[in-house]
Amino acid sequence: MSIALRVLLIVVSVLSMIIMMRKIRNSKFQIDYSIFWIIFSVVLIIIAIFPKIVLVAADLIGIQSPVNMIFLVIIFILLVKVFYMNIQISQLEYKVKELIQKLALSEHKDSEAEKNKDCRF
Amino acid sequence: MKILVIIPAYNEEENIEHVVNNMIEKYPQYDYVVINDGSKDSTSDICHKNNYNIVDLPINLGLTGAFQTGLKYADLKGYDYAVQIDADGQHNPDYIADMLKKAEEGYDIVIGSRFVTEKKPWSPRMAGSRLIEMAIRITTGKKVSDPTSGMRIYNKKMIHEFAQNINYGPEPDTISFLLKQGVSVESVQVTMEERMAGKSYLSFGRSISYMMRMMIAILLINNFRKR
Repeated sequence: MSIALRVLLIVVSVLSMIIMMRKIRNSKFQIDYSIFWIIFSVVLIIIAIFPKIVLVAADLIGIQSPVNMIFLVIIFILLVKVFYMNIQISQLEYKVKELIQKLALSEHKDSEAEKNKDCRF
Repeated sequence: MKILVIIPAYNEEENIEHVVNNMIEKYPQYDYVVINDGSKDSTSDICHKNNYNIVDLPINLGLTGAFQTGLKYADLKGYDYAVQIDADGQHNPDYIADMLKKAEEGYDIVIGSRFVTEKKPWSPRMAGSRLIEMAIRITTGKKVSDPTSGMRIYNKKMIHEFAQNINYGPEPDTISFLLKQGVSVESVQVTMEERMAGKSYLSFGRSISYMMRMMIAILLINNFRKR
């Protein structure tokens, strides 16, 4: 692994951590959602500091260039993340739909009750 | 002095009646509100049938969102103290009086702790509690003997702050953050029952990710947060 790549990994990780912390500081981000990015950044930093890990892992799987190993791992993690985010979006959409319907129905009930009241007098 | 007991309930049809009836019969001096967190069972029906004071969330929000609803209610109605207790019957309202006494001495948050005078056992469940206690001690220098206890009292100032803000879950990381910011937190000895019926929320996998989240939040993120 070249020194340049290792430095790049560290710089990008630290930068993303700083951005994350600033978002939390300004109450624009929920801590629960930052945990993934923090762990992700820390893993990248560890890889950059101890490239031996990647070399051994690449050797085990039979990948010739350790850089490709890093790409593979990152792509895989991000794929899983996208998959889970897709599930979350689907759940959110369901919740919003549910909310809209409940709100509309309860408004309808209210207006109906009011009409009935008017009729009596 | 107005005191509100907040009872967040998610799928607690087996316990809710006992817990609320106990509350009404034995402790009429406290107001209460049940926050039904979008339960899929008959929790809501039971509450309405018995004419309990209940707020129905149309969709499941999780404990943080449900409890915050209770605090918004307390804030809106101008309560002086809000008490958080579980709907599964493990918290005995008898101890609210002791905790209130402590709160009136001027503490912002009072935690009903199982381990003020009692020793914390060396069970695997308590290992997590110890770890969190240690993390809080390292970052704030203060001792919180039972950080994961779900029985707490908040004063008026805290009610308002918890009701308004993001990242203020009723969890140890918030306690740690507020301790760091100079909020006064005290513990009072209580005993807790086993939950009466139904399943506990914490499975093994959940416990691990919960611990992970708490440690990262307490040791790292809290250092950068602004109140």
